[in-house]
Amino acid sequence: MNRLTGCFKQLKSQHRSALIPFITAGDPQPHITLPLMHALVAAGADVLEIGMPFSDPMADGPVIQRASERALAAGMTLTRVLAIMTEFRATNTTTPIVLMGYLNPIEIMGYEQFAKTAQAAGVDGVLVVDLPPEESDEFTNILIHHDLAPIFLLAPTSTPGRIEKICQQARGYLYYVSLKGVTGSANLEVDTVAQKVEEIRHHTQLPVGVGFGISNAKTAAQVAKISDAVIVGSALVKYVETVSESQLIGSMAAFLGELRSAMDAKTVD
Amino acid sequence: MSSYRIHVKICGITRPYDALLAAHYGADAIGLVFYAPSPRAVSIEQTQEIIQVLPPFITTVGLFVNATAEFVQHVLAQLPLDILQFHGEESPEYCQSFSRPYIKALRMKPGTDVNDFAQHHSTARAILLDTFVAGVQGGTGQTFDWKMIPKHCTKPLILAGGLTPENVTEAIRATHPYAVDVSGGVEKTKGIKDAHKISAFMEGVTMTTELHNPPLDLPDSRGHFGRFGGRFVGETLMQPLEELRQAYERYMKDSEFLAELNDDLHHFVGRPSPLYHAVRWSNLLGGAQIYLKREDLNHTGAHKINNTIGQALLAKRMGKTRVIAETGAGQHGVATATVAARMGFECVVYMGSEDIKRQAINVYRMRLLGAEVRAVESGSKTLKDALNEAMRDWVTNVDDTFYIIGTVAGPHPYPAMVRDFQAVIGRETREQIQTLTGRLPDALVACVGGGSNAIGLFHPFLHDESVAMYGVEAAGDGIATGKHAASLCAGKVGVLHGNRTYLLSDDDGQIIETHSISAGLDYPGVGPEHAWLKDSGRAQYVAITDKEALAAFHDLTRIEGIMPALESSHALAYTKKLAPTLGRDKSIVVNLSGRGDKDIHTVANLEGIKI
Repeated sequence: MNRLTGCFKQLKSQHRSALIPFITAGDPQPHITLPLMHALVAAGADVLEIGMPFSDPMADGPVIQRASERALAAGMTLTRVLAIMTEFRATNTTTPIVLMGYLNPIEIMGYEQFAKTAQAAGVDGVLVVDLPPEESDEFTNILIHHDLAPIFLLAPTSTPGRIEKICQQARGYLYYVSLKGVTGSANLEVDTVAQKVEEIRHHTQLPVGVGFGISNAKTAAQVAKISDAVIVGSALVKYVETVSESQLIGSMAAFLGELRSAMDAKTVD
Repeated sequence: MSSYRIHVKICGITRPYDALLAAHYGADAIGLVFYAPSPRAVSIEQTQEIIQVLPPFITTVGLFVNATAEFVQHVLAQLPLDILQFHGEESPEYCQSFSRPYIKALRMKPGTDVNDFAQHHSTARAILLDTFVAGVQGGTGQTFDWKMIPKHCTKPLILAGGLTPENVTEAIRATHPYAVDVSGGVEKTKGIKDAHKISAFMEGVTMTTELHNPPLDLPDSRGHFGRFGGRFVGETLMQPLEELRQAYERYMKDSEFLAELNDDLHHFVGRPSPLYHAVRWSNLLGGAQIYLKREDLNHTGAHKINNTIGQALLAKRMGKTRVIAETGAGQHGVATATVAARMGFECVVYMGSEDIKRQAINVYRMRLLGAEVRAVESGSKTLKDALNEAMRDWVTNVDDTFYIIGTVAGPHPYPAMVRDFQAVIGRETREQIQTLTGRLPDALVACVGGGSNAIGLFHPFLHDESVAMYGVEAAGDGIATGKHAASLCAGKVGVLHGNRTYLLSDDDGQIIETHSISAGLDYPGVGPEHAWLKDSGRAQYVAITDKEALAAFHDLTRIEGIMPALESSHALAYTKKLAPTLGRDKSIVVNLSGRGDKDIHTVANLEGIKI
């Protein structure tokens, strides 16, 4: 069984929402990523979303754009991302990993080669931001063949027809983009998001996660009440620009810990 | 382009099941071998069984090798064969004595003259070309040198000899036959056909059919030009793009919309633009007559406004109040700011901070027109990053904002929509050149960055087989130096900015920085329809260096009194090479896509002159 399925099953039985931090592999230096991944798990991450850096991250806001630029400048490549995942799996065999990125590097590596290597590295799911279901048949089939869950985005603009179609193709969980915008945009509106998540649940049994616009513990706790997973990216990645490298892992883990406690608290302010 | 499909005959059928396979996968004919020494020989009884199961509209061909007339008559008396195929040294008199249409096989060896043979067998319906192998009669299973096949023959030619699923596409492209004939290439064992191989063979044939007919009605409903194009964006933009496609398809058929568009093109843009015969330059080059399509005379000085007018009218119809655009050199930004001013839209133009430094005059023009120019500091700080940033703005403000893309790239429907707005260039050219010369041009030449001026000129001529098309990319310092922007000539297939196309990327799939003297060609991708035209062979793509473009800039300025944009100078530089290779009775149309005033600082700098 794919680790994602097991993970969400367990969380459900505990009536908890998953906390999914996003970091860009290799940001700000390749050697940070592995210890950072372990630290995030220790601080309460249930699933790790790992960004595969790309030169032209069209759907990302400035924080994650700069993370990609730093990682590439530090010599990060798709092959090295996959190598770090292998290293992670040497000591952690339980936390699901989802790779997130853009199509071109995968296309240049080759779908089959990518899926084979990712599977061998212990990756559990793949989210390609610029590969909507209309274009993804071939890639999705290859992923499923390699026991990798194709994760798809849903957005405020998705019509019922699209939601149905996407839910049929998706595995693992659905990623609901909480607002019209790029990653790291202004805060989301919880009530509006709650409505759309309910609508999505009519179409699928899969867990529904919410991301984009979750920047503090309070919002994380609110979103945890209405969804199966809280995805936090820019608010976490920001630390790379605000604290020194020696403090980085500690600061990011501490921030994640705050979110975890807020999400697990019985009441929300 | 002719729109015939290559016909297929599957020869050496020995079982009813194989005949059904052939029919199922779309073969036009099956061949039955009445030649006892062949491993694929059939008896009359066998053939009766085969013919019994065969669905209608599949031609049955009986193959004979130096048979007696009595034997052929005996077979024909019992079997309703449609066509005879003679594979030996039969004479024309013998072949036509059976009152059935016939095909004559010719075994190709060095020195064989196909046209002579076709003349000799003037009563044959077609000539089948097989490989000569000493001592072997009938099909040989070996290929011959396809270069021996004449380009023009009085008879339809059927290509046989060693065809397989692997080589059939190449064979058809190399020889353009009327039909292909396959036997051993689709077999499991001698005489027993293989379903997978038949299917693969037919697919190989179909592929060339597509390539032979670059259809005018591309893209398909999902925005694909063959394997290129499509819609590769985040989920948030999928529905807005679908709404845009619906609006665009609706209004392109709406007579009121088209009337308003035409009226603006005439009174605001100044169309039709002239087609100018560059007599002095043509004479100096000593070859083909060169005609310049004067897009430089449009309002704002380039072809870009043809498209921004169209998209702005569409934005108005869709109830949007704000338009955004990306720009490299600033031409598209100026064209967008211009139509926004005229229609009262709020306008934001994204421009890489590097380009802002290089194009100060255009930045100021946009500001004068009321647009806000936002500097893009991400990535390489050039056109591709401006496009990323405009996409990010659009996804955030999609409710009231219309994104006016400036070239034939981006997610569907942009490549098709921008092309349709720019095709006015080609439509006018088609009329003007016929008025001036009484016939179609022999070649079209246009520069290609994203490719909107080139597709605008090419598109109305796609089906005119006699018109050659050359897209000219920026070779920068030279392709070999790596400092260039020639994605079609030197790139690989990938996905960027919402579509699959040829791109300049490194081995890790990261987009690399481009270089060209001309900011408008400085883009690492290219419109997907150009990628398709390149692969289909319908258009040729070449590259011109900075130095060659600069020389052509001076030539046209001094010889014709027309100062071309550095982008257009690439097309002119290739024309300089092409014209002398063609006769004086030939004609070339070059798209003079923009005027060169904007580039005089660049030119002066390069020549060490301060102005």
